[in-house]
Amino acid sequence: MELVVLSSFLAATVRMAAPIALAALGETISEKAGVSNIGVEAIMLSGAYFSFWAMFQSGNVYVAVFAGILGGAGASLIHAFLSLRCKADQTIAGLALNFLFLGLTSFLFLMQFGKTTTLPSITVLKPVALPLLSNIPIIGEALFAQDPFVYVLYLMVILLMVFFYKTEWGVILHAVGEAPRAADTAGIKVHAVRYLACTANGVLGGLGGAYLTLVKLGFFQENLTGGKGYIALVAVILGRRNPLGVLIAALVIGSAEALQIRLQTLGSTIPSQAFSMLPYVVTVLVLMLSMGKGHDPAALGLPYERDKR
Amino acid sequence: MKRTILSFAVMIIVILLVSFLLIAMVGSDIPTSLASFFRGIGGSTYAMAEVLVRATPLMLAALGVSVGFRTGFLNIGAEGQLYLGAISITWLGMTFPSLPAPLMLVLSLVLGFLSGGLWALIPGLLKAKFGLSEVINTIMLNYIAINLVGILVRTSLKDPTYPYPMSPMLPASTNFLHLLSPTRLHAGLLLALVCAALVYLLMFRTTLGFCMRAVGLNARACQCSGIAVSKYVIISSLISGGLSGLAGVSEIAGLHHRLIEGISPSYGYLAIIVSLLGRNNPVGIVFASLGIAALQVGSMSMQRSSGVPTSIASIIMGLVVIMILSRKSLFRCKEA
Repeated sequence: MELVVLSSFLAATVRMAAPIALAALGETISEKAGVSNIGVEAIMLSGAYFSFWAMFQSGNVYVAVFAGILGGAGASLIHAFLSLRCKADQTIAGLALNFLFLGLTSFLFLMQFGKTTTLPSITVLKPVALPLLSNIPIIGEALFAQDPFVYVLYLMVILLMVFFYKTEWGVILHAVGEAPRAADTAGIKVHAVRYLACTANGVLGGLGGAYLTLVKLGFFQENLTGGKGYIALVAVILGRRNPLGVLIAALVIGSAEALQIRLQTLGSTIPSQAFSMLPYVVTVLVLMLSMGKGHDPAALGLPYERDKR
Repeated sequence: MKRTILSFAVMIIVILLVSFLLIAMVGSDIPTSLASFFRGIGGSTYAMAEVLVRATPLMLAALGVSVGFRTGFLNIGAEGQLYLGAISITWLGMTFPSLPAPLMLVLSLVLGFLSGGLWALIPGLLKAKFGLSEVINTIMLNYIAINLVGILVRTSLKDPTYPYPMSPMLPASTNFLHLLSPTRLHAGLLLALVCAALVYLLMFRTTLGFCMRAVGLNARACQCSGIAVSKYVIISSLISGGLSGLAGVSEIAGLHHRLIEGISPSYGYLAIIVSLLGRNNPVGIVFASLGIAALQVGSMSMQRSSGVPTSIASIIMGLVVIMILSRKSLFRCKEA
């Protein structure tokens, strides 16, 4: 009995963590290239809305995922354009993005579905149990009997670990974020790399958003993400911009959420806010403890201007 | 100069076209929708007062944000600081309900300023002393503050006679003066205008303000010429958060008279847009907050009478900021 509870708790943790981890991996790529986008919320919302819309119209899950990716990448590229081409303040640009997409997605949603009384819904993706792996006691069910998005997430973590630390592309990405001028001198096209990194951020953030509508909820509503994009930023910092670290951070945050839901169903008297607050408190504490170690990419948030010293 | 005028003209045209397009997309009639928009912000005394009521917290919080921005302290945490101010006046009213009104007013303002200020001081200190990014820290503290309100209205500040999570009605001594009776206008607006004047004097007429602006313009040059950069960042974060704290006090004392969840529909984030539109200048902020408030109140009226979703306001705000950020580069403006 205890094991069943533990196993379902772990499974819930993974489901809570997956969208956050996907978006956070995207933001990690972007930040490593020196572009800090606090508009992850907008990217996720866009991915969530467009994948829902495509699923509702076509009923084809591949089309829906593709639409979510396009939606996320579109949002991210607006930010990239403002930060790279216009050299705007990246924080303000991210904030503007959040407002724009919060408005846009709920406007489009109400425009299409506002007149119906029933909440439009789509069928959610079913979990696929991996043979053998899902039979591992306790963690097998939780980790390997999930929906395909979760497997994509595992794959992304592994791919990014290799990409960041074992390939020349990883070195180029780091160089652009740490020392853009040196990278430029070495013949690397700084802006091209940054645009690509931003696109990757949009793709992964869009996937994270699509997860919410296609897997978790099956419907869309105004401000569906409700701050998940900001939590993704938390995961990036807690995970020290290391793909595995980011995944673990997202799992920790996810477990706080899963615990909160579990306690609510048990009728606990502790307000649920006490648990939702935890990841933020932990982030501030971790930031304080890791002070002075200088983990941020040196050129994070700074525009690169070729013609200036 | 020509390009500047051209760029603003293009911006206005784009915004009008996009709004017309959005209105047409939901199948509403453009003239009727616009008429209801303007009726919503200027059609009656009540409508005009509603705009002022909404502009009040925006003005206070944006003034705070602008002080931070001028010093290079990117305060995204006005939302949390506002909630801290709201918590402080609720605590004060519940703990000392029998204080005389004048004393209560002074205490609630001082306490609200301090609690908002101290909330902003955390990221301020972390930035000044350890070089930690204030952006992430202020966002984190927003969420902590919002959850804190959620916890408090369910536990120590809860009204035991109600099943809902909210504080009891605060004593009348905490209430701000009502200005124009049938409307909801309250003295918070006067507080905001006084603060605007004070911020102007502080930033442009005192040595402290000069040093703060200098730090914002070029921290390294200040360091080299013997201005203690970290000191001014800390002071600026304190003032910045304090003003947002006052916004929270004003919302409770003027409007809600009790602490509930969600008293701020993103005022703290909107304040950043207001501050940007007002070019971090107190006079500009007064007008920008009126503009953003009018946009929101008008769009609510438009939703009621023509069925255009209020999210149109959010789209337009996002679009305006994006165009402002890209304007100089797209039109090759050479102005400073």
